[in-house]
Amino acid sequence: MTKDFLILFGLTGWALAVPHYGSEFAVSLALTCLMYTALSSSWSLFCGSTRYLSLATSAFFGIGAYTSALVLEGAGWFAAIGLGALIAAGVAAVMGAAVLHLRGTYFAVLTFGMTELIHHAVTTWEKQVTGTVGRVLTVVPERDTIYLTVLGLAVLAIATSILVRRSRFGLAMAGIGADEQRAQTLGVNTRLVKIGGFALIAAFAGGVGAAMSVRWTYIDPATVFNPFIGFQTVLIALIGGAATLWGPLIAAVVFSLLAETLRLQAPQIYMMSLGLLLILCVLYLPGGLASWRWPAAWRLR
Amino acid sequence: MNGHPLLEARGVTVRFGGLTAVDGVSAAFAPGELVGIIGPNGAGKTTFFNALSGVVAPTAGELFAAGQRLTGAAPHRFAQQGIARTFQTPRVFAALSVAANIDFGLQFAGRRRTASWLLKDAASILNLIGLSAQTALPAAAVTPSQQRLLEIGMALATRPKLLLLDEVAAGLTENEIEAMALLIRRLRDELDLTVIWIEHAVTTLLRHVERVLVLHQGRKIADGLPSEVVRNAEVIEAYLGDEMVDTV
Repeated sequence: MTKDFLILFGLTGWALAVPHYGSEFAVSLALTCLMYTALSSSWSLFCGSTRYLSLATSAFFGIGAYTSALVLEGAGWFAAIGLGALIAAGVAAVMGAAVLHLRGTYFAVLTFGMTELIHHAVTTWEKQVTGTVGRVLTVVPERDTIYLTVLGLAVLAIATSILVRRSRFGLAMAGIGADEQRAQTLGVNTRLVKIGGFALIAAFAGGVGAAMSVRWTYIDPATVFNPFIGFQTVLIALIGGAATLWGPLIAAVVFSLLAETLRLQAPQIYMMSLGLLLILCVLYLPGGLASWRWPAAWRLR
Repeated sequence: MNGHPLLEARGVTVRFGGLTAVDGVSAAFAPGELVGIIGPNGAGKTTFFNALSGVVAPTAGELFAAGQRLTGAAPHRFAQQGIARTFQTPRVFAALSVAANIDFGLQFAGRRRTASWLLKDAASILNLIGLSAQTALPAAAVTPSQQRLLEIGMALATRPKLLLLDEVAAGLTENEIEAMALLIRRLRDELDLTVIWIEHAVTTLLRHVERVLVLHQGRKIADGLPSEVVRNAEVIEAYLGDEMVDTV
């Protein structure tokens, strides 16, 4: 545990330096890295250990983004982030109570369905009641404030993962992932643990959504409830290794580099390389990139 | 024990669609009893266990633990009330070490329960079930008979008052079955546990239990001393045949 915190400490220091020395492009790239680190590390915290594959990340991200757009002017930056996280967690608790007794494909499909439901409910509300398509955010904090907030969320997500792995809560989630019924008969209140875990990771997605919405300055439902945010989160976690602590971070960096360098010049190559990476991982590294071990012959003596 | 039985089933019925697996079974279990449950395949023994441990909610009937109604409660509530169980096919956490498998129960239902020195910690439980040498091995790496012992150890880690054992001797050799029976006796004698034990090795079972329930097609057809039950006409007809009379 101490080693993990030391690594996290070192990486944080490195990330803190980026806005001072990096170009505009480097900061933007680092921000994408941090966003996906926060999203997929927190996703893995619950979904990797319990093996409940949630596709609802974009729902919580969008809820956070909209909360931030609505309250930022009146309530201030940190209140907007906190409220975004809180409302996303609340929605997740209700959603979880409804669907967390389902497993496997049913759970995945239903979380996706609910994401679309929320997406279209917000779209309809905006069109019918508010009479807008999107929202322009006028009061926007400094670039560095956004960067530091998302960095803070990413660090918090990993720190939470480190602590939860050592806690009874983490043990309960691992037990649910291994054999849910056995865990129940050994005294785990699985329903409470699942709803709690689901709400916890929703809070991270909501917080990240709230912070990222201001970077775009204009948001509409199609952007912030984009299901690809959810898919990419899952993809990164699986490629990196959803059961590992550092896998999602490694994959988030690889993914963001690929995304930023290839997406604009060669979007097809970008999607192809992503698909290829996923296939290679599933075939040869089912535990994710983080489970890679150098062959003994290559190791330094 | 406020005058109530440790666990009581009143008219418990479990239906799966059109099939009635358990049909109006009533039984009460007192502290310190060692009870066997026998019956032919498909008699509803395991389903009855599932109902007694909360894994399956009864379609009809009531369940009480020390007088407290538990009908329809989640399995963790049963575990918290001191009802522990094993599964017919060992369901150990394969990726965890043997010691971590024991620790799991200690962390949840076994937490904050007063424990005798035999169940003080993971080491004492491992010692009791005889797996002290396998502590660090992953549970997937130990032999099937050791997994059965580990399964019992996991249940003991919840520091129960009542233990439901579902065919813990299945697939064991003659000697291992006898050792298992002695372990079960020891759990009752030294830990004051109530033990309810399902087993197909009827001869061994009848030699060790003090009371036996016979299930047939979901119904309880006999409940009494082994020596009485083997002479029960309905039991002989449905299950045992008449050569069992000599074994008890």
